Amino acid sequence: MGQEKGYLALVLHAHLPFIKHPEYPDFLEEDWFYEAMVETYIPLLSVFEKLTEEGCDFRLTMSLTPPLCNMMEDSLLIDRFRHYLNQRVELSEKEIHRTKGTEFEGVARMYFDKFRRYQDLFENHYHGHVLQGFKKFQDMGKLEIITCCATHGYLPLMVHKESVNAQIKIAAHDYRSRFGKNPRGIWLAECAYNPGDDKFLREEGIRFFFTETHGILHGTPRPKYGVYAPVYCPETGVAAFARDMESAQQVWSADSGYPGDHRYREFYRDLGYDLDYDYIRPYLHSDGVRRNIGMKYHKITGKVSLNQKQAYNPWEARDVAAEHAGNFMFNRQKQIEYLSTIIDRKPLVVSMYDAELYGHWWYEGIDFLEFLFKKIYYDQNEIKLITPMEYLQIYPENQVVQPSMSSWGDKGYHDVWLNSGNDWIYRHLIKSSERMMNLANRFPNAQGLLRRALNQLARELVLMQSSDWAFLMTTGTAKEYSTKRTKDHIKRFNELYEQIIGNRIDEGYVYSLEMRDSIFQQIDYNVYSTSSKEAVLAKY
Amino acid sequence: MAQNLSSSSLLKPLLRDRQMETDIPSGYGKTESYLLPKDPAWMFLFWEITQSTLDFIRSQYGETVLKAARTIIRLHDVTDVALFNGTNSVKYYDMPVLLEARSWYINAPESGRAYIADLGYLTEDGRFILITRSNATTLPPGRISNVIDDKWMIVEGDFQKLLKLSGADYIGLGASELMQVVGQRWKLTELTPSGAPTSWSSFALHLDKVQDEDIWLNADCEIIIYGSASKNAIVSINGKDIELKDGKFTIHRHLSAGDIVDLPIHARNACGDKTRHIEIKALREQGK
Repeated sequence: MGQEKGYLALVLHAHLPFIKHPEYPDFLEEDWFYEAMVETYIPLLSVFEKLTEEGCDFRLTMSLTPPLCNMMEDSLLIDRFRHYLNQRVELSEKEIHRTKGTEFEGVARMYFDKFRRYQDLFENHYHGHVLQGFKKFQDMGKLEIITCCATHGYLPLMVHKESVNAQIKIAAHDYRSRFGKNPRGIWLAECAYNPGDDKFLREEGIRFFFTETHGILHGTPRPKYGVYAPVYCPETGVAAFARDMESAQQVWSADSGYPGDHRYREFYRDLGYDLDYDYIRPYLHSDGVRRNIGMKYHKITGKVSLNQKQAYNPWEARDVAAEHAGNFMFNRQKQIEYLSTIIDRKPLVVSMYDAELYGHWWYEGIDFLEFLFKKIYYDQNEIKLITPMEYLQIYPENQVVQPSMSSWGDKGYHDVWLNSGNDWIYRHLIKSSERMMNLANRFPNAQGLLRRALNQLARELVLMQSSDWAFLMTTGTAKEYSTKRTKDHIKRFNELYEQIIGNRIDEGYVYSLEMRDSIFQQIDYNVYSTSSKEAVLAKY
Repeated sequence: MAQNLSSSSLLKPLLRDRQMETDIPSGYGKTESYLLPKDPAWMFLFWEITQSTLDFIRSQYGETVLKAARTIIRLHDVTDVALFNGTNSVKYYDMPVLLEARSWYINAPESGRAYIADLGYLTEDGRFILITRSNATTLPPGRISNVIDDKWMIVEGDFQKLLKLSGADYIGLGASELMQVVGQRWKLTELTPSGAPTSWSSFALHLDKVQDEDIWLNADCEIIIYGSASKNAIVSINGKDIELKDGKFTIHRHLSAGDIVDLPIHARNACGDKTRHIEIKALREQGK
């Protein structure tokens, strides 16, 4: 232990649902992945590279969910992303010439420089495999990559523990195949924790997970340190770390959060709408409809309409990000100093965010993180960045508390994923889960086509279980797509199920699903067997 | 986008599947029910009851007894009950329900308890006839525990300070902003050709809550409209024809702040010369 007064654990949750449509030459919702790649994931790697070159040490915990890892390693999506990135480089280069001598010259140059750097990293450093980049920093001990439920499945609403077991086992297996070791931590999808599910985590060697604030505050017995130290789950000893609300509010708050600063980039004013149609047409989707293309030349400015936004100044915005990073650090120092007067060990503040907030939504969030890492490393000694495992090495003894059922969704429980707008899905999710488990029990040693069909059945089930669909139905955004995705997987599951029990498996059908819903190439349907679940529960 | 697909024959089955109607079954032909937790105060029960189950019960108890009986959910508190046998619960609560609704939100009498829901008939003479029994579900406590750990004691005053610092006052609230932000993000790829909305400024989020410095209020509302009509009737709600299942219909709707729901329900026969009309109105107001 050094002279620091306390610790800060920064946690970023990187996730997108598995979206891949080989049946179309281009597909709108696939853009979510390409945008996040160029605005968040590669920019983060760029910061890690830069800090490492400069000798600035840092610590970060980051979930890379299995669907995201699968997309990052999918050759079709990699090719399409490459095309997306090339187009951005091409357009931004044209823009340097077009904006010469105007107030947009600087921002146009910024995009070109950034896109070129990201392209260089993507092609020449990582050879199209960004996971190799993340793995590199994990191997250096700076980044703790954690896993997530296989498809971001919402565990507390799974009645059959076989499904919970499978979500964890599939995820852990996927993680091992990519990072060559056990995942030590997990981000439970939506931080949704159900007491007892930690048994399935323990089985896969997972040592810690994260909960929303009241996951620990409402735990039994009372948590001595509030959320400023982890607790151990009874029986399993898996550690739970809870979110600190103060640091969360500082970034997320609508009123006072950093991202709303008027000098930051305006999200809604996009070149896709601003530029001459014929000029921008090649960079739009094949339907030719104007949409956001991810290049924006204006700042938030204030509460004015979009056409009154002023030109964005990248240097000014970067200075603001530095200022905000300084403010964030200052507040953590004060927070930790005060907490030290109340608790008898060095307090730990856990700050958790969606990774895509940084860069995609809050464009300067990437700069903010870079400055925050630098300031913490160079400018002070009071707080230290830490990963959960490092903390557990310093403080191996922790209070045993049963965390409460909770999630980080609106109202703190399951309302977002279970309400009148989406409750119809559970009839199908639960029935499919029961059917899957029955077939796994009935065919423990399937071979050949039957095995392929059962494995595909498992893929359809996990894809159906993505919490993203229920979430999108609730927010009302992409509702049509999320409803269709749910129904498609239900329908494919049922069709395949009927073929299997009717002993009339259509190989062409299995093949078409394998091509399209191609997540988890190595999936083994046996993870759904009751004996697999019982083997875990029998230990307690 | 010029994208080479590895094989053009690959496309065919995919496109065929794409064109298939995405109809999903309304049920799976098995009498059963499931109980899911929603929050410390609410659960969601859904069920399917087959005709053969109803026929069987009818043959056992007789048409007359069932006609006079009420259909209910009997909610059993099974906290610490190792093996529930239908009668050994801590206590139970009866609530009327329409079997045709197929799902129901149940207000739990107490948070932090374990429940099993039985669906069945309550006969005039007080007998309960079980149709289907759900799984057990345990609700979260929704509050700070009273259990103090001897080994990890803390001075009460310090604990209260810690709670405040930990954000106990904001439980469940911080996340709504997050959801709005993330929700907005997804919306972007959906924007229509008419252009980006002009009135948005970043982070001008509309939160469905009333918040002041020291007090907060959170309330939510869902309405369920259900009914039945003669089998030859065409029923419309708010001008839109709806599908009747065995002459029955159910509609769930979430009511957001400021929502005014005006749902005229019309039934008409095929030639349109006979009509029936019921109107349901609801309003959710939010004070300042």
